[in-house]
Amino acid sequence: MSKAAFPVNDLLRRKLQTSLTMATLTLSVASTLFLLLFSRRIGFGITAVGDTLTHGLSAVFSQFVLFVGILIFAVGAVITSFIIFLMMKQRTRDFGLIKAAGCPNGLVFGYFMTELLVITFLGCVLGLVLGFVADFAVTNILHFQAYQKPPDLWLAPLVFAAFFALALIFGTKPMLDAARLSPIKALSPVQYFGLSTGRKLKPLSRFGLTLKIASRSLFRRQSASIRIILLLSIVFVLLTVSISGGIIASDTTQSWVENAIGKNIIVIAHNSMGAQYKLLLSKFFGAAENGDFDYLDERLAIPSTILQQLNSTPGIATVDARLILKEHIQEVSNFTIDPETLVTIPVGDSREGDSLIVGVDPEKVTATWSIQGRFLNTEDAWEAVIGDSIAQTMFSQPLSQSIRLQNRTFSIVGVCVDPINNGKVTYVPVEQLQTFTNMSNPNIVLVKLEPSADRSATLAQIKDEITSVNSDLTVFELDEVLQENLSFLGSVWSTVMLLPLFTLASAALCLIGYTMLAVDEQRQEFAILRATGTKPNAVIAILAVQSIVILLSSFAVGISLGVITTLLILVPNPVVTTVTLLEVAALLFTALAGMFLMSLYPAARFAKTPILKIMT
Amino acid sequence: MTTEPNNSVVYVHSLCKAYQLGETKVEVLKDVNLNVARGKFVAICGPSGSGKTTLLNIISGIDRPTSGEVIVLGQDLVVQDEDFLAEFRCDNVGFVFQSYNLVSTLTVAENVAFPMEWSRKPEAEIEKRVTELLETVDLQHRANHFPAQLSGGEQQRVAFARALANDPQLILADEPTGNLDTKNGQKITQMLRMLKANGKTVIVATHDSEILQLADQALCLEDGRLASRNE
Repeated sequence: MSKAAFPVNDLLRRKLQTSLTMATLTLSVASTLFLLLFSRRIGFGITAVGDTLTHGLSAVFSQFVLFVGILIFAVGAVITSFIIFLMMKQRTRDFGLIKAAGCPNGLVFGYFMTELLVITFLGCVLGLVLGFVADFAVTNILHFQAYQKPPDLWLAPLVFAAFFALALIFGTKPMLDAARLSPIKALSPVQYFGLSTGRKLKPLSRFGLTLKIASRSLFRRQSASIRIILLLSIVFVLLTVSISGGIIASDTTQSWVENAIGKNIIVIAHNSMGAQYKLLLSKFFGAAENGDFDYLDERLAIPSTILQQLNSTPGIATVDARLILKEHIQEVSNFTIDPETLVTIPVGDSREGDSLIVGVDPEKVTATWSIQGRFLNTEDAWEAVIGDSIAQTMFSQPLSQSIRLQNRTFSIVGVCVDPINNGKVTYVPVEQLQTFTNMSNPNIVLVKLEPSADRSATLAQIKDEITSVNSDLTVFELDEVLQENLSFLGSVWSTVMLLPLFTLASAALCLIGYTMLAVDEQRQEFAILRATGTKPNAVIAILAVQSIVILLSSFAVGISLGVITTLLILVPNPVVTTVTLLEVAALLFTALAGMFLMSLYPAARFAKTPILKIMT
Repeated sequence: MTTEPNNSVVYVHSLCKAYQLGETKVEVLKDVNLNVARGKFVAICGPSGSGKTTLLNIISGIDRPTSGEVIVLGQDLVVQDEDFLAEFRCDNVGFVFQSYNLVSTLTVAENVAFPMEWSRKPEAEIEKRVTELLETVDLQHRANHFPAQLSGGEQQRVAFARALANDPQLILADEPTGNLDTKNGQKITQMLRMLKANGKTVIVATHDSEILQLADQALCLEDGRLASRNE
């Protein structure tokens, strides 16, 4: 037989194992490449891009993607080492057999090294292809502006080299171990089963006997068992963080946006101002505003008569009249005193930038922002609340600093998460803004209806009143824009939650691989059990017990660490409802059950094999 | 079709078994007829590859014939499903393999006990029976050892003890001394002699002349056909 023929024939002969190893390696490479491509588009670099979202929200995303990314790398490395270990471990006996037949050590090593190289090369190449296909699919299914960039092709050789090296390192180790073994040891059952004296006989029920055989087999395969438990634990941490964290973070961020924009809000403004306001809110998901818009155009002013009419209209809960404009702002530095050394420490600099300035009557705002510090109150005159993007890009300690606007200084009392103008917004008391802009009227009015009001009738009445005064004014509902914002957030989160799917699939394949190892090592025993009167289902039961022990051990560790990580580290002020918990529990248990059922495939396949075929 | 005699434990009629190896059809058993009455000791000899193991596998329900009738203890094994055959073997047939075939994850005592545990015998009865059987095969001191810690002869004695665990009516032994030295082979022959004295129905595939001398009936399989040894 030629040197190349043996490895190729051996790989073809073990069709299921070969394809399983290759599929697992492919998925690991694909998930890592996809993660890198994805995070380059929306994850790690998002704060620098700043075209979408706000800095507060993108910080949550970045943390998530970073953490999920680290876990995917870790799982990828462990999966690769595990699957290659399994593949080579199952060849130990063959190694011994070939050596016992007189084949030189170097030649046997060469055979199995060729197999390793073939599998690793094909797995890595297929992984790269699948990674790019997944990236292309996501880019073309989810039309985010942030995604419309060409993929970074240089990531492909990087991922290929990393996984190729990992697979070779981890695959060579068991081969070297097998090469060092004498043929007699490689063939001996002691190689597979550590031996010690058992306990005194204690007759058991059928289930007890099943448990005993399953647990002893697990213990005797402890090297592989520990590896698979470690691997699955990391996978379940990843899964918990992605599922529970993803759902909680999605709910939380959506609630922030919903509260900042407001629900059931009706906007009254000049046609052009209304359109501009929509664009300012839509910048969150990539729309561009009209940069030359003149906010102080007198035609945009809303007459006082309209405000009076709105205030007296039944069914209206709040009339939030705002004056909105774009202005140049400046950071005002400050000093703090170190309580221990009493040394004054400078805070901030004199950074400058543009911001949307929104003058509001603090008593009549329709929104309830997620806020650090506090919002404005009626006594405030020279206080301001800034958006999270301004806070992170222009200020060091915003709550200890001030902001300068048209040579007037406002103390910052709060930092809020607000999607308008991507969080580059400053809220000040409307009276101050009217004073120094000489604009006595608001240019936009937000109206919140009473929950008990007849919505369509009230809306019709408002429209009639407004158009009778000025036909250039428009009345529209904000819910449509709110929904667009929420669906954008939802789609970003669902993409983040896609990431661990590859890893989950690889882990499931690893578990199948482990069950195959169990079947392989116990095949003679199962044949004996069946020959001496054990039903085929009992074999499935033994393998199922092994699988469930491994899955539950990993599940317990993974879930605990995942929940702790999610709630304590990744999502600040999480919004957790009973529905969220049920949703998370259902998804996690579905994943667990799915993996368990998949792991039984080799067992079910084996149980159907005739006894004689197993024994010979 | 012939009729199964009333006192027959094993009744095999027109049994054929063929394997398909690629495009080649290998006929292992050709028109085999066998009738073993209760309490009889039957020895089957024949060259390697003559079909002895296949015949025993078919009689125990481990393998299925290509055609023919196989009735063991009144049950037509050809028409039964895997679950029935498993239970049937557990309760009625003791099989001793040439290569011992002990479960490596179970100790000696557990290997002997598990067919009884499988057939849901009471705990106390299992303990008593295991002790008895290990004394019979002189391995009580090895009760808590694992099979890989035993010699070949010891493993074969454990296999005998396991085969007798559920006190089966039929014992099948496939070259039980084939892998053993003379001393261990004699111990196994002694055990077969004891089974015969106890009135068990035994079918042994063997080349061992001592075992052949024990047999009430010695048959020879050659080229897939069964004939009396004297023919």
